[in-house]
Amino acid sequence: MNWSDLGTIAPVVAAVLVAAAILIVDMVLPGRRNAILVTALGGLGVVAVVLLAQAGHSAEAFGGAYSLDNLTVFLDLLFVAIAVLTLLFAVDYLEPRGLPIAEFAAVLVFAITGAMLISGSKDLLLLFVALELMVLPGYMLVGFARRDSYSTEGAIKYFLLGSFSSAILLFGLAYVWGITGTTRVDGVAAAVAKVVAGGPLSPGLALGLAFMTAGVAFKMAAVPFHYWTPDAYQGSPTPVTAYLSVGPKVGAFAIVLRLFAEALGPLKADWLPVVIVLAAATMTLGNLVAITQDNVKRMLAYSSIAHTGYILVGLAAYAGGQQSGLSAILFYGAAYTFMNMGAFAIVTALQRRPGVSSQISTFAGLGRRDPWLGVLMTIFLLSLTGIPPLAGFWAKAYVILAAVQAGGWLTALAVLAMVNAAAAAFYYLRVVTYMYMRDPIGDAEPNSPGMLFQVGLAVTCVATLIFGLFPAIVTAAASAANALHV
Amino acid sequence: MPVLSLIILTPLVGALLIAVLPSKEADLIRRTALAFALLAWVFSLLLLAAFAFGPAGFQFTEAIDWIPTFGIQYKVGVDGLSVLMVVLTTTLTWISILASFKPINDRVKGYMISFLVLEVGMIGVFVALDLFLFYIFWEIVLVPMYLIIGIWGGANRLYATMKFVLYTLVGSLLMLVAILATAYAYQTAHTGSWVGAFDYGALAAWAAGGHFANELQILAFLALFLAFAIKVPMFPFHTWLPDAHTEAPTAGSVILAGVLLKLGAYGLIRFAVPLFPFAAHTFAWPIIVLSVVAIVYGAIVSIVQTDLKRLVAYSSVSHMGFVTLGIFTFSAASYQGAVLQMISHGLITGGLFLLVGVIYERTHDRTIARMGGVAAVMPIYATVFGFFILASAGLPGLSGFVGEFLVFVGSFGMAPAIAVASIIVMVLAATYLLWMFQRLAFGELSEFFRGLGGHLTDIDRTELTTLAPLAFLIVVLGLFPSLVLDLLRAPTQVFLAAVGVAR
Repeated sequence: MNWSDLGTIAPVVAAVLVAAAILIVDMVLPGRRNAILVTALGGLGVVAVVLLAQAGHSAEAFGGAYSLDNLTVFLDLLFVAIAVLTLLFAVDYLEPRGLPIAEFAAVLVFAITGAMLISGSKDLLLLFVALELMVLPGYMLVGFARRDSYSTEGAIKYFLLGSFSSAILLFGLAYVWGITGTTRVDGVAAAVAKVVAGGPLSPGLALGLAFMTAGVAFKMAAVPFHYWTPDAYQGSPTPVTAYLSVGPKVGAFAIVLRLFAEALGPLKADWLPVVIVLAAATMTLGNLVAITQDNVKRMLAYSSIAHTGYILVGLAAYAGGQQSGLSAILFYGAAYTFMNMGAFAIVTALQRRPGVSSQISTFAGLGRRDPWLGVLMTIFLLSLTGIPPLAGFWAKAYVILAAVQAGGWLTALAVLAMVNAAAAAFYYLRVVTYMYMRDPIGDAEPNSPGMLFQVGLAVTCVATLIFGLFPAIVTAAASAANALHV
Repeated sequence: MPVLSLIILTPLVGALLIAVLPSKEADLIRRTALAFALLAWVFSLLLLAAFAFGPAGFQFTEAIDWIPTFGIQYKVGVDGLSVLMVVLTTTLTWISILASFKPINDRVKGYMISFLVLEVGMIGVFVALDLFLFYIFWEIVLVPMYLIIGIWGGANRLYATMKFVLYTLVGSLLMLVAILATAYAYQTAHTGSWVGAFDYGALAAWAAGGHFANELQILAFLALFLAFAIKVPMFPFHTWLPDAHTEAPTAGSVILAGVLLKLGAYGLIRFAVPLFPFAAHTFAWPIIVLSVVAIVYGAIVSIVQTDLKRLVAYSSVSHMGFVTLGIFTFSAASYQGAVLQMISHGLITGGLFLLVGVIYERTHDRTIARMGGVAAVMPIYATVFGFFILASAGLPGLSGFVGEFLVFVGSFGMAPAIAVASIIVMVLAATYLLWMFQRLAFGELSEFFRGLGGHLTDIDRTELTTLAPLAFLIVVLGLFPSLVLDLLRAPTQVFLAAVGVAR
């Protein structure tokens, strides 16, 4: 290790320091909410600045195990944004319930640190360690409301299945290491490229591929590895659900980019059929089950499974020979982050008063009761549906475009994705129907979220509105995808 | 001067302005909405006045690069067909807004914003010359209409509006795949350059050269056709229409029938047929048959309707059948007849929905069986209603006749049997319309109406103001159809040339 290595991993180091600083501030100034928030938000701001300063540069550290390139910067900025938004939305939820903010913030930033490390990993072992660093704090966050039995139940389920899937993934990585003799992403790519040239897959590599696919599918909540999702999502404190639906998901796709696109790219003809099946099953099942949900949190959980399916279409398009599939994945991840966090934020806002459920009936008459929340929720839901000119539409359009470019089976997959998107309109608009076309049940008191919360809503809303209208973000996603050695 | 952008932006500015007005000022909101709708109307009339009738091609084009990575542009322009549609849209929009002054008292702000945003989307669809932009405007139309039916609609509005959305979305999302596939086919053929891949002019020229592969044409045409046929709506995709019409507020029905259905027909004329002529020819016969089924079926089902609005809705299915029949018989007369029928259906059916709204406003009922003898207490109303009934039934001298007659003439050359079958339906149309009118207007004042007593006042000045321009245009177009046909001369040639390629 030398000083230039340290410079390269500066964003990750900065994130760790922020988490540590939060804990120290909490120790020195106990119970001072504002000091903690300033430290956390200001610190994350610094991390973002450090990242922005790196945009366009490319550097490697630790003998090529970690790479800071455009992809790393793009994803890391997204992770920082996720952390900031989660924090902005969490305060209004945690405080009335007497849950500690400092610990929440610190655990959250540690999780983000892991995610940031994933995006730059060019080594299978580092990738695995980074993944664990991301998910372990996640288990804590799910069980954060420790007096709530649902929260604990969700945490245990998430932990058990999460550890299980990590083990499976590790098993797969071990096979790859055994066969290729290296853990470096580039080395693996070169080694498997030779295998491909030499004929069919060896049983060992096939087994490794299967294990890794299953492990990653667990993490991204793809059908049939999604069973942990609804319980973990519904049981978590709502701001944590917001985080879970985007943070670990984008993290899982970061693994996919580094592991499947970069390291196992030469084998893409072998894993393409699996991805097609996964994508088709994931979006269809996620949507079908989402339609039947009466709890908005659970509905959004299943819908997030469906969105995993749409993103997988982008991966399939890449495997089908279209580089644009990768930038479509990145764009989708970013767009989904903002619109989905926005939707969860509205659920959080309604649940500020402890005891309010996330049943769909809670939304009845919201448009009349609280016009602003109603309008914002409508925007987020329309975006999730994929109505132009909102962010979600562009995300779908780019994925579909990539799939259509790949042609063949992928065109059929694109058509299936669009039929699914139409079906999804049913459950997303059902919430809008409740908000505007039904009368409120009982007398709900007016709801005025705090200042931080409003800032968070404004950010997610503006991003959802303008995301696709500005080509710069498309360009950024494309250049991030180009940083991959595929 | 960017006239088209001005026409698109005017209602948008109006909507934004209303958004910041206090909700309590309902009257101010109503007037602001009307003012902006009128302004857009004036701009569209100026556009019509400045439009050069002779030359083919698009006028007043504007193009700004939007997403250069994929060659997507903000590109708008109008030919004779679009100009007519834009004027129809702006006219019906201000009429609808004025007609909503009295009936809509709940959440006026949201209502007027929805209407103005709806206008933005509708105009955008008619002027977009970039397929991606077209798609965006197409979808923008969906949301306000969903809200208008769902919030301000009748008792069964939730079912109706969801059905409307899901039907439309299934079609339009498949259309998106088709648009992207078409653009990609163009891009592949142009050494990987996206320039022009979404541009209507470039794609149409490419299609005119017969360059799109037949398989692509078939699949893309089917996807576009599905989207447009649902919107028209063609048999058997029409089942959302009676529900949506019945539940929508009066002005919503006017726009739905007057403009939204035309979006589908416009899409067929502008995109589906010229871009994929081979597929259009392949499927012409099945579509013609479906059109005739729609014409006959719509008329027969109309006869047995017990609800005024449902009757007018089913008659729309029948009348719009003439439009699709006219489009797919590929002759000059039938093309012009189809477009004329689009306009006159917008005027006549819009008027009929307004008139149904007038009686509903007073009685809160639309059941035909309960009505009777309106002519005695509402003489002016009955007279106006009678006029629109005759126009809808295709009385010569009024616009409805010209359109259907031209379609008849145009399709006779291609398929005499079909043409004759469809013209016989005009008798059916007269049957259900006149019978309905007779039950409504003549005879003794019904029990139900008598119970209402003094509530049954004759049509008032605002209501007349909304109906008068429509009646005026119906007469003018009926007597001087050449006003429209002159505008359509160049687009007709372009359309026929595009279709002729595959012959």
